[in-house]
Amino acid sequence: MMDRRTLVGVGAALTTAVSSFFGGRKAEAKAKDMAYPKGTMQPRGHVERLERFANLSLESRQDFLMSFRTWANGDLGRTANARADEILKSKGIPKDNQLSQAEAIELLKDDPIIAMSTRGWCSAQQLMWSGLKEEFEGNADRYLSEMEAADKMGPGKLELNANLKLPDYVKHEIHIQPGGYVGSEFAGHMYHYGTNAFYTGRNFNDELHVGSANNMPIPKDGKVMRILDVGCGIGQLALALKERFPNAEVWGIDVGGPMVRYAHLRSVERGLDVNFSQRLGEDTQFPDNYFDIVTSYIMFHEVSPEGTAAQVKEAMRIVRPGGIYYPLDFKLNGAPRRTAYGMYRGWMDHRWNNEVWTQKFRTNGLPDMIRKAGFDLNEKEPELLRGFGILNATKPA
Amino acid sequence: MADEKKMGERTKAASDFIKGDTDSAVFLGNPHIDNLMTIVIAMGAEIWADRQRMRIVEHLLSTKGKVTTEMIEQYVPTNEQKAAWAAERDAMAKRVYSVMARDTSGAKPFGEERKFN
Repeated sequence: MMDRRTLVGVGAALTTAVSSFFGGRKAEAKAKDMAYPKGTMQPRGHVERLERFANLSLESRQDFLMSFRTWANGDLGRTANARADEILKSKGIPKDNQLSQAEAIELLKDDPIIAMSTRGWCSAQQLMWSGLKEEFEGNADRYLSEMEAADKMGPGKLELNANLKLPDYVKHEIHIQPGGYVGSEFAGHMYHYGTNAFYTGRNFNDELHVGSANNMPIPKDGKVMRILDVGCGIGQLALALKERFPNAEVWGIDVGGPMVRYAHLRSVERGLDVNFSQRLGEDTQFPDNYFDIVTSYIMFHEVSPEGTAAQVKEAMRIVRPGGIYYPLDFKLNGAPRRTAYGMYRGWMDHRWNNEVWTQKFRTNGLPDMIRKAGFDLNEKEPELLRGFGILNATKPA
Repeated sequence: MADEKKMGERTKAASDFIKGDTDSAVFLGNPHIDNLMTIVIAMGAEIWADRQRMRIVEHLLSTKGKVTTEMIEQYVPTNEQKAAWAAERDAMAKRVYSVMARDTSGAKPFGEERKFN
């Protein structure tokens, strides 16, 4: 896989070569000179699909924060959970009593262990993001150059739409990511490395996306010519789908220009012919009945109820008769009843992790919206990702 | 390395966003105590970064007999090293921070007299 700095050199050198009728070898040599001028640090390579951080210190700090997060979610989280049970017991409240979220918060928010657990999570998350922001924004010239070089390269194409009017619901700093998905030139970079920490090391090679793509149901007639990943982020699922369906025309769309730009960079690195475009899920600009499969990866819990309804309607328009619509997201059907501590954590996630829309996602009736739009919905199989919801919809033929 | 264009000449893709307010969250009753907690976690990350560098330096010196910044930065650990270092990292996090999970339900106020027989 080509490293990103060589990409910069190749892009610039090929431009020179074409305009000067230079040969390929000369362009290659020039690329090398441009990518690695004397006295600069060489890129640190890839660990399979993941480009290593630019320096060891950053890599080590992020590694440690991920470890802290794992410990805080594990040992400290279990202690906090047990403490919540003790508090309920001391107040004579049965453990299985379904408290309101406000009651759960009031009961638990001042306990020192629970508060410490919350603070630990928050501090680690803030430190993770601030480290990434410092690296990418502090070296903006380098990272922008890499994206600019890739912008013009294939095999897939990139469409940025500076005039796209973004609805407010997409502008939040979800997961407290600095600038969210739209407000930083390096939203894609930060999202990639930040979510790797969320997955605590289990997705460095897009394992969850590859698994989801491999489990994706196909239309009964077996025809898979065109696929769309809505809210594709940095394109992990779209790329995995292209790997599974190499002959299909695969698209990823997202409202975040920096997200699709980074997705395109990754597709160039990996030589995968996927098109990424900055568009709205509510207004995809594709013809009626165009796609055999339309999907999304854990997107809808970050969409407003109004946006959700509009996107489902749009999906119905662009999926062809007999085609599949599978928006993968958190479990809605058969989700476990939430404990008082679970309610408290749910609030923490919503209020302080800035998961603005998650709580509404749980109650907005997405399965019913899908049925009302006209799809046949199967909520039993197949499961794309273990523990997540099943929404396998087919547009009637 | 990168062609040093002015930022104004760059292709931009970002747009306006709605800023969150988590930076002003107080969970421990006093924002300065919250800040201290962030400092403590950040210090752990800094110590781990130095420890990793030291480990790689030691390894390079013992196997190659010399070390340069480039060699340290470019070093790719073996799978065995990765597993061993990850275990050590997780053990360090647990060792350093486990006090956060101690039972504080019997915490006593500063001015409380202790009764002796």
